[in-house]
Amino acid sequence: MRYLIGIGNYSGYDDSIGLRIIETIAEAGLDRDFTAIELGGNLLDLLHYLDEDVECVLVVDSARMGRAPGEYVFFTPETATTRKQLAGISTHEGDLLKVLELAAALGRPLPPITVMGIEAETIAAGIGLSETLRDRLDEYVAAVVAFFDPPARA
Amino acid sequence: MLQNVDIDIHHLTRVEGHGNIVVNVSDGTIETCEWQVPENPRFFEAMVRGRHYSEVARITSRICGICAVGHTLASVTATEAALGIEVTPQTRKLRTILKHAENFDSHVLHVYILVAPDLLGAPSVFPLIPTHGEVVVRALRLKRLAHEWGSLIGGRTTHPITVLPGGFSSVPSERDLKAMRDRLVAAVPDLEATIETILSVADKLPAFDRPTEYMAVADDAEYGLFSGRVETVLADGDRASYDVSDYLGITNEFVVPQSTAKHTRNRLRSYAAGALARFNVNYDQLHPEAKKAAEALGLSPICTNPYMNSVAQVVECVHAVHESVRMIDELLEEGVVEEGLVQPTRFGSGVSAVEVPRGILFHDYTYDDEGLCVRANCIIPTNQNHGNIQLDFEELVPQLLEAGAAEDDIALKLSMLVRAYDPCISCSTHYLDVEFKR
Repeated sequence: MRYLIGIGNYSGYDDSIGLRIIETIAEAGLDRDFTAIELGGNLLDLLHYLDEDVECVLVVDSARMGRAPGEYVFFTPETATTRKQLAGISTHEGDLLKVLELAAALGRPLPPITVMGIEAETIAAGIGLSETLRDRLDEYVAAVVAFFDPPARA
Repeated sequence: MLQNVDIDIHHLTRVEGHGNIVVNVSDGTIETCEWQVPENPRFFEAMVRGRHYSEVARITSRICGICAVGHTLASVTATEAALGIEVTPQTRKLRTILKHAENFDSHVLHVYILVAPDLLGAPSVFPLIPTHGEVVVRALRLKRLAHEWGSLIGGRTTHPITVLPGGFSSVPSERDLKAMRDRLVAAVPDLEATIETILSVADKLPAFDRPTEYMAVADDAEYGLFSGRVETVLADGDRASYDVSDYLGITNEFVVPQSTAKHTRNRLRSYAAGALARFNVNYDQLHPEAKKAAEALGLSPICTNPYMNSVAQVVECVHAVHESVRMIDELLEEGVVEEGLVQPTRFGSGVSAVEVPRGILFHDYTYDDEGLCVRANCIIPTNQNHGNIQLDFEELVPQLLEAGAAEDDIALKLSMLVRAYDPCISCSTHYLDVEFKR
């Protein structure tokens, strides 16, 4: 089993980019070789897809990485640290890395996890995407599909 | 008694959204004692205007990432009331099972991840892993069950896709329902262990009683979920019953200076919504196994200790599992079939009341002759609890001062009180903010 998981807030403008990529892929039927999951903001549910026998997981999320808005980076969780000051974890407090930290702390074997972080331009209340991200949506979708298609990725 | 207290908890942790606790006592006089909610309005009612009735639930579901099923059901139920749609008995049963899954999911998250750290003396769930690892693992096991239980019926748990005005776009197979039934039955030992865990820390729940009005959906056929009437009960057992369409006259929203969120009131200066309110209003219709759990946990109606809301949530988890098993058995006996969507018979106005994890949720829509939404109003349960939290503060703080509580203890008791209500103030953003290791 291979999972593509989109997280974010649909009414958080560019915070919705992960969800919109899932939506686009599902509508176009591009999820033939993997299962596309729109997780929304219920991040603890991510743990349910991290079984040991899962071949790989790609999580798509908006990010502040110090890049130009619209740029994206594939990285593994162990190569990044969160700058958020987080006291705990809930669906409102915490982020992807915090959830993965919880999974690791439990000592459970995890499948290979990759994060596709997309530098947000606008994170605010509202439904939509900034023009920068909207213009590159097809590029993000292609990158995700290529991730699951090693020859194309190479 | 402490003469000077200065508590300023900015963005209380382990609640969903942003709220502040501010208490100032100077020379023994309470100058400020406030539960503040500083968040912005989100204008969902405006977003759905001009949208076709088939789209509205898709939008309002996004109000909340936890109560997405509740908002979807509230939306489609109000739309169906406005459009003269009577859904089939099979649809009603599947929606009830889906509602139970959501309440179970949210309650497990709240009790185990948000409340348990207070009771076990930890700042968050992380320090509990080495000391109470089996409790954390059990929590995640129950949460996974809820996630897959809801996904089976709703297509997915967060923002369900199969629930539409008039019915379901697809229904689960009998084989999958049978498998879920078996998993629910297999979860009973975990529920029993949950009760044992709560009992082991029951002495950490503060003893604080403040009688108020308790409001919930009530239905002659079941423990109130999403059909019937609105009922309230006072601490002396005095009941009042209201038609759902009278929701504006029950909620009476008003603004207060310290909060961007509206407060509500009905027969008293405030009322409570949520698991404890449902328990107090609908105790007689709990599943017998849930009544046993309540008895084991020392919970009986009318309970006026707001900290017991988390305990009522555990009782509701037991109810949700056993009721869902019973309803799946009924569905399997009757046979599950794909049904077409029931079509509108008129276009007008409709109101719904749905019990989401945090309490009673109202949706109200008006549609024009083309089925486009021209007016919407949503009243969210967390907002209905803000006034009650404030009045709890105003009674609890003097009690704690009189008892000689230290400032840290006052802050903890107030934080625990807010968490007990399980507020879901608004859905926020979850973007990553990272730097890469070199």
